Amino acid sequence: MSVKVGKKAPEFTADALDRGEVRKLSLADYRGRWVMLFFYPADFSMV
Amino acid sequence: MAAVAVKYPAFKELGTEVLTLSVDSIDSHKGWREKELSQMVRGGALFPMLSDPEGRIGALYGVYDSERGVDQRGRFLIDPMGVIQSIEIVSDPVGRDIAEALRQLRALQHHQATGDYMPCGWEPGKPTLTKDQSRSGEIWKEWKTRHAF
Repeated sequence: MSVKVGKKAPEFTADALDRGEVRKLSLADYRGRWVMLFFYPADFSMV
Repeated sequence: MAAVAVKYPAFKELGTEVLTLSVDSIDSHKGWREKELSQMVRGGALFPMLSDPEGRIGALYGVYDSERGVDQRGRFLIDPMGVIQSIEIVSDPVGRDIAEALRQLRALQHHQATGDYMPCGWEPGKPTLTKDQSRSGEIWKEWKTRHAF
């Protein structure tokens, strides 16, 4: 899988904390909308 | 992520969902959201915070650092078709610029709506170029370097 501008974003499913609720979430759920993914090293750190 | 939380309404206005990811557990996200983020931003984080244990998703996106066991600070902007339109990856000591992320989002949306090309430093209200102008060799007629700043 190569991640490049102009290529499809890799699909994934993960557990998420969404406004205090825990749920499973997939990137595919957001097809039809813009999505900004932010990866960061760790909670409780400068991010 | 506090800066992202502050600007979350701007992302929502642009019809954009924010998803954040780190290798931390859901319990850690809970603690951080309640103890720290809510101190910095009213309401805390209103976007989904994903748990990426072992950096499985980070590895898919090329940001997982296996030596440190963390996801690097990466930003991926994905359009409604699921295509990546912008990537930024920054090393650990340097924080990101959320205003730049929003600027690129606005520029990409403007392009998809109008077909226009947005030169260096474009913000809403600044000159745009047509596709032909963008490669005409005569950009200087439309665009001045002061528009970049």
